[in-house]
Amino acid sequence: MAALDEKPELGEAPEKGNEPKTLTIEAEICFKCGVCCVIRDHSCHAQHAIHFNPKHTYVYDCLGSGDPAGNSNIWLCVSCHKCEELCPYEVSPVHIIESLKAQSFEEGRAHPLIVGEIKQIVSTGYAFPLTGSSSRQREKLGLEALTQRSEEDLRRISEKTGLVAKLQRYEVEET
Amino acid sequence: MRFSLFLGCFIPVRLPHIEKVARSVLGEIGVELQDIGGFTCCPEPVGFHINDRLTATAIAARNIALAEEQGNDIITLCNGCTYVLKQVNEELKRDSELRDKVNEVLSETDHEYRGTIDVKHFAQVLNEDIGLDRLAKKVERPLSGLSVAGHTGCHILSPPDVMKFDDPYDPVVLDNMVAALGAEPADFSMKTICCGWTLTNYGERQSANQLVGAKLQAMEIAGSDCISVICPQCFYQFDTGQMMATRSLKLDLKLPVLFYLQLLGLSMGYSLEDVHYGMHRVKSQGFEEKVGRILA
Repeated sequence: MAALDEKPELGEAPEKGNEPKTLTIEAEICFKCGVCCVIRDHSCHAQHAIHFNPKHTYVYDCLGSGDPAGNSNIWLCVSCHKCEELCPYEVSPVHIIESLKAQSFEEGRAHPLIVGEIKQIVSTGYAFPLTGSSSRQREKLGLEALTQRSEEDLRRISEKTGLVAKLQRYEVEET
Repeated sequence: MRFSLFLGCFIPVRLPHIEKVARSVLGEIGVELQDIGGFTCCPEPVGFHINDRLTATAIAARNIALAEEQGNDIITLCNGCTYVLKQVNEELKRDSELRDKVNEVLSETDHEYRGTIDVKHFAQVLNEDIGLDRLAKKVERPLSGLSVAGHTGCHILSPPDVMKFDDPYDPVVLDNMVAALGAEPADFSMKTICCGWTLTNYGERQSANQLVGAKLQAMEIAGSDCISVICPQCFYQFDTGQMMATRSLKLDLKLPVLFYLQLLGLSMGYSLEDVHYGMHRVKSQGFEEKVGRILA
């Protein structure tokens, strides 16, 4: 095991703003005490998924997987930070899981709902489709009708950051 | 006091009656709301922000820049929007290199992030800008005898050094807000566990049902008449999610959920009809009769 204050090798530096929020070394110092998951009233909600137990916790499932960025369970994390706050060893599993999600998205392996939501946001400005039911409810309540929001600015931002190119990779795979 | 109203997506698209009540109630207690047509999704924390951080940071920075141009702090109605906008605002104020990078991206639009305003959840505005003592003076019909299970939700609690709202393991602020209306905060177990929406969304629906069912049972054991929330995602999970969970688990239980601003409205003289309770999935005759007696 590496010394606790040793910085891990990260390879080529990622672009500013897209760095992993944490370091893989943190996963290696986790000694599987389970505190982040097994305090039923206070800890990780994903631990309540029926296939996890005190000896195979949600966090260990994410950190200990053979292909962590390909483990579909990473998408169950809600980023509530409970694991980070409860960990007695400063592992911060939430940041590791978030980095795994970002890696998965980068590699074209993100959950389809995630890809769909990102496309929805950058093309309409909303995380949800504008439905007829929503329009009728708003009209009945005397609220202004919703229209697409700032889609031209969102397109320019997404092109500049490279998001459009990443999403195009998903479209190629879909076809 | 004046704020730029950041509605987000969930409320205007899926829970427009909450928007209606928020505009009305906040206006009545002296919070002037200014709309900004160009606001977009915050963007959503779990689906977007952590998966492509640079784009998400730029989109959030653009939203903040629009409010800066209007000269107002932002008021939000959603824990998730607050979580993203507050974190990005703090990060960009602290990290000049990242701010320059983000402004380079924003140069493609007509906006620039300057770092001149704050982002506040409406619950923070009620506590910090108005104050619960002054809020209590707006109460015309104290909700005496109504037991309310306050579910604060995750994203306004953590990370606590950024969100600066409440203790993630012993949250009391929402309970104090409930007490300011004359109602009784219920003390229930599993209070700080997430409502479970990522379990619902990402393939663990039955586990989500069990989690929601367990939280509802804990609230019921504590004698709650209803639930109160300050986040639309939590609202949805305890309304539509409750309907699905009780059906799936065959639980004989109905605990209506009210967005806090609906509860505030009731205490200010609104009727259940005025706060559009009829648009909720979970309704309870016992709750309606009790509220009727309190408001009579």
